[in-house]
Amino acid sequence: MNCRSFSTQSKPKPKVSFLNLQGSGMSAIERLCLEEALLSHDPLKRSWAIVGTHEPRYNSYLPNPEFNTSNESCLIIMGVGAGGKPDSLLDIEKVKRDGVLAVKRFSGGGAIVVDDSTLWTTFIGRNDDFPHVDPHSESIMAWSANDVFHKVFANMKADALHHNIISSEKKNMVMDTTKSCQAALDNETSGKHPTEDNSTLQTTEMPDFALRENDYVIGERKVGDNAQLIVDGAWLHHTTFLWDYEEENMSYLTLPSKRPEYRGERDHDDFLVKLRSTYALGDDNSSKRAFFYHVKCAAFEAFELEEVLLKDAMKVVDDLGGMKAWFEGGCRTKILDL
Amino acid sequence: MASAATMMLRNATRRSFVQMSRFNSPAVGSFRMLSSIKFAETHEYVKVEGNIASIGISDHAQTLLGDIVFVELPEVGDEIEKGETFTSVESVKAASDVYAPVSGTIVEVNESLADSPELVNEDAEGKAWFVKVEMSDPSEFDDLITPETYKASLHED
Repeated sequence: MNCRSFSTQSKPKPKVSFLNLQGSGMSAIERLCLEEALLSHDPLKRSWAIVGTHEPRYNSYLPNPEFNTSNESCLIIMGVGAGGKPDSLLDIEKVKRDGVLAVKRFSGGGAIVVDDSTLWTTFIGRNDDFPHVDPHSESIMAWSANDVFHKVFANMKADALHHNIISSEKKNMVMDTTKSCQAALDNETSGKHPTEDNSTLQTTEMPDFALRENDYVIGERKVGDNAQLIVDGAWLHHTTFLWDYEEENMSYLTLPSKRPEYRGERDHDDFLVKLRSTYALGDDNSSKRAFFYHVKCAAFEAFELEEVLLKDAMKVVDDLGGMKAWFEGGCRTKILDL
Repeated sequence: MASAATMMLRNATRRSFVQMSRFNSPAVGSFRMLSSIKFAETHEYVKVEGNIASIGISDHAQTLLGDIVFVELPEVGDEIEKGETFTSVESVKAASDVYAPVSGTIVEVNESLADSPELVNEDAEGKAWFVKVEMSDPSEFDDLITPETYKASLHED
């Protein structure tokens, strides 16, 4: 772990188990099952920080014929209330026509579409570990924004600015000699340097991360969706950040009747923003890894972190009879019959 | 429902609440002649008439939750067990588990909450009951907290 700790806190940090699901082959459905098991059935009553993406092609832990026949490009996940009224949030005809699977999750909130470019973070907090966080939605979101995601996006922004500067310098180096000389002459006349112009321009084009009403935003645009489940003695807060998405997939979602005030009448394309448009570092895989690295660094700073392997976390599910038995039994994640 | 207030309540005064509740129970033999109300530490209430308990969340709980947008109703015939989750309510973004304050069989569900979940915010301890339960162990009602003790605990926060 190479994260530098800037913490000057003298009070004890919450003990949190860190689970990295990148490359695990775990799909969103399986992850939801695992999360609920860890929240409600972990015999050690641990707090957790979990990161990863949706990897739909494997379903290694929960083989199900419906998963194999469905459209693997994306998955629709609906909140506990929204799942009871899918026709109010989904273009049902289109979803059925394209064979997209829709599931109901255990937490609140509306409908989201996830694919392999969705960046998923989850925090499970035990009240005993987090006495400074009231187990209510507003408090949990304020804590996550202030203690975790502000730092994550500040680091993402710094990375992107640095990357842009390096890229600009490289681009300048391959310019035609005549043009470069002319450009240098022009800049000397105007008193500006090209890379300084680019970085200044980039800074002003990079709005800051913020919590707006109940959403995480970059500027005026929503950057991901989040939801919570609150139980006796603990809470779960999970977020899906939009690194990228297919516009076609977003068309499965209709404009919800209940919307945050700042959204206005904007449709999904105008309301949402892809993180890669602001924070890309070249190839997508490196950029996504960088995001989770910064989440881990923020977690390292905020918590007393212990890394846990997936096979050890899965013991909680194994004690419930295994993923299949848990999914078909008490687990609240269910496939919706549209 | 659970909150930091619940934690304090539970840790500090559990035994005394149980003792006080039994002393104050209006039970007459195995019947409870009058409609009486008591609360659970997790902010559910129980109103009893005969052997039927009406269960919902307290007015304090709905204030903590904010605007209720959905109540996940169980079905008539479902068995519920004291202390176990039997339903959940959703406020913006957050689903919160609701715990059974007494055990029994659900005999009626408040269907009006399906279309009007906001009733919980308007009249949590009146019209917005969630379920009616035929109690399997009426003595469980005696273990609950009186309204006076419950309200006093809220002021301690």
